[in-house]
Amino acid sequence: MTKQNQPTDYGHPVQLRTEHFYYDNSIVRAFGMATVIFGIVGMLAGLWAAIQIYYPQASLGLAPTTFGRMRPLHTNAIIFAFVGNASFAGIYYSLQRLCKSRLFSDKLSWIHFWGWQAIIAAAAITLLMGKTTGKEYAELEWPIDIAITLVWVIFGINMFGTIFKRREKHLYVAIWFYIATWVTVAMLHIVNSFEIPVSFMKSYSWYAGVQDALVQWWYGHNAVAFFLTTPVLGLMYYYLPKAANRPVYSYRLSIIHFWALIFIYIWAGPHHLLYTALPDWAQSLGVVFSVMLIAPSWGGMLNGLFTLRGAWDKVREDPVLKFMVVAITCYGMATFEGPLLSLKSVNAISHFSDWTIAHVHIGGLGWNGFMAFAILYYMVPKMWGTSLYSKKLATNHFWLGTIGIVIYAVPLYWAGFEQSIMWKSFTPEGQLKFQFLDTVNSIKPFYILRSIGGSLYLVGAFFMVYNLYKTMKAGSFVPNEPAEAMPLIKIKSEQKEYWHRIIERKPATLLVLSLIVVAIGGFIELVPTFLIKSNVPTITSVKPYTPLELQGRDIYIREGCYTCHSQMVRPFRDEVARYGEYSKAGEFVYDHPFQWGSKRTGPDLAREGGKYPDSWHYNHMYDPGTMSPGSIMPAYAWLLENRLDTASTPAKIRAMQKLGVPYADGYAQNANSDLMQQADSITAGLKKDKINTASDKEIVALIAYLQRIGRDIKGEQNSTAAQLNK
Amino acid sequence: MSVIIILLIISISIAAVFLAAFLWSVKTGQFEDDFSPASRILFDDKTKPTN
Amino acid sequence: MQEKLAGKPAEAQQQYCFHCGGKCRGTSLKSGENVFCCEGCRMVYRILNDHQLCDYYELNNRPGQTQVHEFRSDKFAFLDNEAISSGLISFRDENHTHLTFYIPQIHCSSCLYLLEKLYRLDSSVISSIVNFERREVSLIFNSETGTVRKMAELLNSIGYEPYISLNDLNEKKPAVNRQLIYQLGVAGFCFGNIMLMSFPEYFGIEAGEEGLQNIFRWLNFALALPVLLYSSQPFFASTIKSLKHRYLHIDTPIALAILITFIRSSYELFSGAGAGYFDSMTGIVFFMLAGRILQDKTYRQLSFDRDYTSYFPIAVTVKKAKGEYGIQNTEYRKTENETENEKPEEELAVPLPDIKVGDTIIIHNEELIPVDGLLTRGTAVIDYSFVTGESIPQTKNIGELVYAGGRQTGGRMEILVMKEVAQSYLTGLWSKSGKGGSEIKRSFIHRISKWFTWVVFVIAAATAIYWQLNDPLKTWPAVTAIFIIACPCALLLANSFTNGNILRILSRNGFFLRNAQTIENIASIDHIVFDKTGTLTATGGTGITYEGIAPSHLSIQMIRSAVINSVHPLSKALFSYLDTTHPILTPVFFQETAGHGIEAVFGNSRILLGSAYFVCGNGNKNENQTAVYFSLNGIQQGRFVFSNQYRADLGKLIRNLKSRYRLSIVSGDHNAEQSALKRIFGEETSIYFNQRPTDKLHYTERLQKQGARVMMIGDGLNDAGALMQSDCGIAVSESTSYFTPASDAILKASAFQKLATFIRMCRANRTIVSISFMVSIAYNIAGLFFAVQGNLSPLIAAILMPSSSFTILLITFGSTNYLAARLRL
Repeated sequence: MTKQNQPTDYGHPVQLRTEHFYYDNSIVRAFGMATVIFGIVGMLAGLWAAIQIYYPQASLGLAPTTFGRMRPLHTNAIIFAFVGNASFAGIYYSLQRLCKSRLFSDKLSWIHFWGWQAIIAAAAITLLMGKTTGKEYAELEWPIDIAITLVWVIFGINMFGTIFKRREKHLYVAIWFYIATWVTVAMLHIVNSFEIPVSFMKSYSWYAGVQDALVQWWYGHNAVAFFLTTPVLGLMYYYLPKAANRPVYSYRLSIIHFWALIFIYIWAGPHHLLYTALPDWAQSLGVVFSVMLIAPSWGGMLNGLFTLRGAWDKVREDPVLKFMVVAITCYGMATFEGPLLSLKSVNAISHFSDWTIAHVHIGGLGWNGFMAFAILYYMVPKMWGTSLYSKKLATNHFWLGTIGIVIYAVPLYWAGFEQSIMWKSFTPEGQLKFQFLDTVNSIKPFYILRSIGGSLYLVGAFFMVYNLYKTMKAGSFVPNEPAEAMPLIKIKSEQKEYWHRIIERKPATLLVLSLIVVAIGGFIELVPTFLIKSNVPTITSVKPYTPLELQGRDIYIREGCYTCHSQMVRPFRDEVARYGEYSKAGEFVYDHPFQWGSKRTGPDLAREGGKYPDSWHYNHMYDPGTMSPGSIMPAYAWLLENRLDTASTPAKIRAMQKLGVPYADGYAQNANSDLMQQADSITAGLKKDKINTASDKEIVALIAYLQRIGRDIKGEQNSTAAQLNK
Repeated sequence: MSVIIILLIISISIAAVFLAAFLWSVKTGQFEDDFSPASRILFDDKTKPTN
Repeated sequence: MQEKLAGKPAEAQQQYCFHCGGKCRGTSLKSGENVFCCEGCRMVYRILNDHQLCDYYELNNRPGQTQVHEFRSDKFAFLDNEAISSGLISFRDENHTHLTFYIPQIHCSSCLYLLEKLYRLDSSVISSIVNFERREVSLIFNSETGTVRKMAELLNSIGYEPYISLNDLNEKKPAVNRQLIYQLGVAGFCFGNIMLMSFPEYFGIEAGEEGLQNIFRWLNFALALPVLLYSSQPFFASTIKSLKHRYLHIDTPIALAILITFIRSSYELFSGAGAGYFDSMTGIVFFMLAGRILQDKTYRQLSFDRDYTSYFPIAVTVKKAKGEYGIQNTEYRKTENETENEKPEEELAVPLPDIKVGDTIIIHNEELIPVDGLLTRGTAVIDYSFVTGESIPQTKNIGELVYAGGRQTGGRMEILVMKEVAQSYLTGLWSKSGKGGSEIKRSFIHRISKWFTWVVFVIAAATAIYWQLNDPLKTWPAVTAIFIIACPCALLLANSFTNGNILRILSRNGFFLRNAQTIENIASIDHIVFDKTGTLTATGGTGITYEGIAPSHLSIQMIRSAVINSVHPLSKALFSYLDTTHPILTPVFFQETAGHGIEAVFGNSRILLGSAYFVCGNGNKNENQTAVYFSLNGIQQGRFVFSNQYRADLGKLIRNLKSRYRLSIVSGDHNAEQSALKRIFGEETSIYFNQRPTDKLHYTERLQKQGARVMMIGDGLNDAGALMQSDCGIAVSESTSYFTPASDAILKASAFQKLATFIRMCRANRTIVSISFMVSIAYNIAGLFFAVQGNLSPLIAAILMPSSSFTILLITFGSTNYLAARLRL
């Protein structure tokens, strides 16, 4: 139609005609490739970490590859690199088509892409180097946090820009999910990442102890909700109808589901902290909201599955739909189990055990992984203008993956249950029936099975890589896919717009804007007051860490000890019997960040101080097997060699002072002399046990910290006892 | 638990933003027709050749 | 002698139109591989094919509309009339013109696809957006290159003829009322956050955290304000209105409860005594708004309030001497019959309301007759099916009176206007109807509510007296607590959610009620009056029997080949009845005398088909039966008798209804079917024939005067008066996008046999609401136990209120759905 391309040369405004434009497939390809690569990397890291749990030597004795550093690498790679890239690929593909518009800016798209990959690379390197904030799923250090914020803003500009220049009036429900993802993740990331930099790649969380824990799990749960759930639900609402070629079962339900989900999700976080030192009412709040969550979650799941009602013959044929069906089913299972796990009675059993690991992997492997595979299988043939190389291979991938999930999850559920039961067993005489190590050894076979399941899943992923590669070879990539649409013109309202209506509307806009401004202003004003002056009940005997202990604590964080050891004794008979007095909120007021942990692969350390002599710790770190035969803890031999970086001490003290830790004024200058003094006394003590070590080794600092954990409160008991005796 | 105040303010602000979005979308008739949007996404773009 | 002829042929051999799925009369109309039933369908296909819009056919199988009807090139000429087209345009500037057309044919995603791709077909279209629910397409087109007429013609050319009625000219469409949804959104936001901040209090926020506790409380107050001032408005508005009219509306005690709860809570907050009941208050408002929205669900694709304006055309062609009309002429065309001698005449599109007595109007084939008048030229073969339900057209000769509401099927004719549109016999029916909007029926809920309110007042008074005597300090808390806890919101919730769900279930089954009140109206009736034609009988579904000498195969073949050339409904019916596999013959001679019959010659055989007079030269004009006579070579062979076909399972339905209701039939028809009806309905049913529309109305009125509560079931405009007069008028319609007379409910013809079940469902409504109410009373009594003692804690209120609401929801949804499942709905 040459007529349509003729320029108009008369004086009237240019006539509006069909606009021809191109969808940007290149950026989708880039994110898709990244998804595949980082998916494999993340899964490999997970498998490696899983093997280390029953075969610690698999860490090769190297610091970067020990479990404590591999696990953050695994979780970050899967969440932010694999699912993140898959979401970006899926969002950028679907957003263009839903908005009938090319992405807002190619430049921003590519900054987003390379920025995100650079963040991932930086994350991988720093995590392996032990640069971590010590907060789960938010381990990345402050410069990377800032980079994430910037890239996220870029992504936001690109997404909203695309939405603003769309040619389709209606915002399809998937876009709502994308918007919610962006807004909420931005907020979560910023709030949880408040930290005070000490040096390049070292910072302390702005919050301390209980407060830090609350913010962390408010973040942690919402990261699951808004990074792993809402974007993927958005993808489901686009790709499932597309793949099945039928509209979603109920569009109305999808809208209600969306609004209900985003509201309730925000407050479910505290369910990660049941029975901890978090105030009871805050825990209960988390429980109530978690239980309420089941309604919108299942609304979404049923809406997905019902979309296939009457089209199950298609599911038999199409691997894309197969993956989606299992993904959605897993979503349903995980969102049913979630509220269940947040019930206090269930949580008492499941928490700190492998049950939780099984639960998240139903979500991770099933929901996120399968959804990512499905959209890759859907998009690649489309963008390469061909059909899938081998349906059979994809079906095999599907079965390997599904069986992999089952073999992964079932043993872990069993393990979690067994573990928890054993922890809680007492002999008739009222003694704990099992040593912690007994519980570890009894579930080793399940750990082995789990890694087999993971391997199957990984092999399946390799099938996909080959299949997609062959598909790409067979087709030819269409970097810019032609499309056409008419420009979006606002449908003028039936009634004519009168001036007073515009005036009327302004105050409403102003009101909303001013509310936001007030909220932000109030927030900025409140931050210092609330963060520094904590009103957590203080315990007089709880004192700040000594400089050496502080350094030791940073080593503890660096090595990711929190990935296996909790520091939170819950008020249960078995835990009090096994570890000692249950933990109080006031004990953690100087913990920036908190180190409560979420998993007890090893025993709790909240009352570790004073349990064993210094020499035990020294030998244990050198070779755990000698002190606890059968232990699955890796050796940390390098701690015996590495010199402690004392140059950082003054900066650390000053940072702590800024956070309200009551070190005396000017203490930063004297800190290192205190540090050396304490170190010398520890080396002297070790010498008595025939261990010769220099005072400036990292092990000394770590021992100092380990011997301090949980002692302050014992001190209080002693002093009150002493007072009573007087 | 002063940190709750911060979380609260943020959550309410976010919820308010979503409320505003909800009101906007109702106002602009986004939810007026719940058949068309679900079907519309299924139409594949086959462009008409420009020449 | 009766004989059933030629059975249906094997389906495999029948070919169906690629465009509309209609039966093809042969395979001659092809385009590529695809076969079409008519030239119109092929045309549409070719247009779409040329513009690469054939996805239309991929999205759904045979999605088109049949294009058999021919269309006049100047059919939409009236849109060139500025007065008419500007009435349709919603916005216009030098670049864009905005316009919304109603297109009843929209039915599937293919329609959506095609109608939103209009820009490919016509470059002046800038955008076209479909609202599926309302079957509307909103167009924006270039003001310079496009016109309203062009748009209408474009849509018509692809088989989506816009429906433009007189209604479009008269009124602006009311804006969609979104107020309730805004209020619900605000209430939901506030309620959610208040709930969040009330929990800490219930979960025992520690004394050491007073600061936090106070912040929670004040935020709750702040969030409760918009709910009180904005979201609760509907309740306050109806209360104020009802108080002005000196009666207690159901919302009155609720408004009172909301207000008291708010004041009491604020008092507690300001005095530092406690947290108040903000969560209960906002929660109730939220749930009640949700219920109200569910119950107020409107079927936007349906219209219950149609009057003649949405049925009549917007304009009509008037034949006038040149220059007689002041309106700017837009189309000038010499009429075919114009001769040299005659004064030059012109045809003008004139807006319908401007038609005056004495005008001569031209009605083209397939057009509606909008006025009563005298036939002055042409042959009138008028299909009154929409008026009477009778699909067999009536023939009128020159000089006869024709009534408004019929559709001309006999070609072009001219009519001398005798009455203006608003005074015509048909439109008069609407104004005659006795029932206006003045009498508002009060639901039984209002009675319960009134009674309930007084009980609450008595309890409150008794409590007040008791505490005044014993411990005056407790009077105020106790009395307010009673109003908080005894709020009859459960009653309202039960009612609105039950109604909402019943409406949903019924509409899923093809029974659409105007509003929730209709449920109660249906439940209360005791007499059902049926229209016959189109209601008890299926429209167009005629049974044909042959009487006479058994025809040979060749005769059948000839009859088919003859009627294929006629568009007369009887011919069409006959054609499909005689479906055989024999090829169609081409007649040597063919002539159709409109309104009389067909003469056709095949080889040396001459057949005549038509009225008794046409075929046999004699015949009784007042015959009770409709028949087509057939003669071969001048010898009468026999006749095809067309009889009514009753709806499937009618007998079963009637037996069902008879056990509970008195039944009557009022038919505008002759009494040919009397014996058949007696067989189905039994002797006790009164059956009246030859009833004019006013007779139907008066019959209904008479029954009502005798104390009956009447349900009228009809389909045509001739039932309109009775439908409105009755306590519950139900319009039967073959498709919901067809036009139905104003009514309280629209019943899809395919769901007709479920009528008894629908009525049962409606009757269950009251029982379910009552049960729910009993349950909520139990909750209320539990709450009152605390309230009269003056120690109703916010926690108890917060537990009782939502749990009573949830119990109600469970009971209403559970029992309605259970009942629906049992009734197989």
